[in-house]
Amino acid sequence: MPTLTLKFRKDSATIKEYRIERGQSITIGRLDANDIVIENLAVSGHHAKIDWTGTGYLLTDLKSKNGTFINEQLAVSHWLQGGDIVTIGKHIIAFNYAEGEEQPDDSDNAMNETMVMDTGKYRNMLAKNVSSAAQEAEQTSVLSYLAGGDGEVELTKKLTKIGKNPSSDIIVSGLTIGQTSATISKRPDGYYLSYVSGLSKPKVNGDAVKDSVKLKQFDVVEIGSAKMQLVGKS
Amino acid sequence: MVVIESAGITDVGKKRKGNEDSYFVNDNLQVYVVADGMGGHLAGEVASSLVVKTVEGYMKRARDGHSEGEKELVEKDENLSKEANQLMTSIHLSNRVVYQVSKNKQSCSGMGSTVSAICFTRDTLVVANVGDSPIYMIRNGKIETLSVLHTVIAEQKALYPQGGGQSLGKKYDHMLTRAMGVEKTVKPDVCEIQCFKDDTLILASDGLTDKVRPDEIFEIVSGKSPKEACPILVDLANERGGDDNITIVIVKVIMVKYKRSGVLGWISQFFK
Repeated sequence: MPTLTLKFRKDSATIKEYRIERGQSITIGRLDANDIVIENLAVSGHHAKIDWTGTGYLLTDLKSKNGTFINEQLAVSHWLQGGDIVTIGKHIIAFNYAEGEEQPDDSDNAMNETMVMDTGKYRNMLAKNVSSAAQEAEQTSVLSYLAGGDGEVELTKKLTKIGKNPSSDIIVSGLTIGQTSATISKRPDGYYLSYVSGLSKPKVNGDAVKDSVKLKQFDVVEIGSAKMQLVGKS
Repeated sequence: MVVIESAGITDVGKKRKGNEDSYFVNDNLQVYVVADGMGGHLAGEVASSLVVKTVEGYMKRARDGHSEGEKELVEKDENLSKEANQLMTSIHLSNRVVYQVSKNKQSCSGMGSTVSAICFTRDTLVVANVGDSPIYMIRNGKIETLSVLHTVIAEQKALYPQGGGQSLGKKYDHMLTRAMGVEKTVKPDVCEIQCFKDDTLILASDGLTDKVRPDEIFEIVSGKSPKEACPILVDLANERGGDDNITIVIVKVIMVKYKRSGVLGWISQFFK
């Protein structure tokens, strides 16, 4: 099984040696939750991962701040080969197959069908593959009051209700405003505002919304007494 | 209240011997599920049908109010509505069921499934999925994807929109990063959206979407009843090879009735 040798700079002593098995995944980063922890500020919390994919070992950079280099080339994703040197910050990790070990061939065997998960090892790989990075990518925006209120409302709910009803997430007033005037949905690709009920329709950037619109950064939403602006939170 | 017209269909395709897909359509419960099973021999079939049946069973109990006594599998997510929490619980429950069966039964070892499910509340729609069975919505002359694909390629694309995934090669198209019954717990992606008259939802297994593009699905589904559109889509996927099982559920919102309250609600009826 291949080894991963962690060193500080190329010619210094080995810090630690790790092994990766077929079916296994390994994460690399500054935080303790990683399999290979590199305590250095140049390393991101979740920096990179290596997965066994059934035909080879795949290294993926998890949008690290300072990048991952393979043999001194910046890499986003890379099929590891014996002898590859992975550079993360000032540390290096050497990837080597054991002597005489069979190396995965690079031919495109058909993997056309939905993957069959045969072994317990695959399960581990799958579980770990739910990369922390993908989850980190999810961003929450806030509606910041421009008028009719103070502060901001964080849009953490999948469905935020705005209306006159006291149970609404954002309560607004106005004679012609519906009990639930509008809702804001958090969808995979962003926030959407929909008109629900009431004589007055919600306005986005001054235009009345009659069904549903996608909200962009800095869009101004007006519902009854409230005027709010969508601001992304980093 | 939402009034719905729906249809579902499943087809073995041209190449496979068995059908590992399962689906569930119920206009009364207003719950719709597609599951694409995987795992050798008959295990894929077992996994997908366990998923569908467990979701169905839980949602029935939940709507009847009989689910209260059941042990909470996961803590209620405060960011979700009651109905969305019910759908999530049903998915967590079926993950547990598939996981346990695959652990305990030799012949089912290593099985798994995707799940794509939608349910309706009084005037919204809850969408949840695990795996790569897509959920599309047709609204205002456009087709949009509501589900999140849990594949290696999609994950790479999300991380690197400039094209990190392409360099991996086509063989990773079907490598899932999440599936039902593979781990003790699962993390479905979920969203809840307001629903409007004429919204059309399409849940499918990848047997359809590998062969038929979203814009083609849009063309075929638009202006037809769900019942008419289903077999046309199956035929098209089969004409193009039918490499995998094909399952399609089409749900069309015929009408959304809002309950208005108070004098103003009464007046507003005249201004619709």
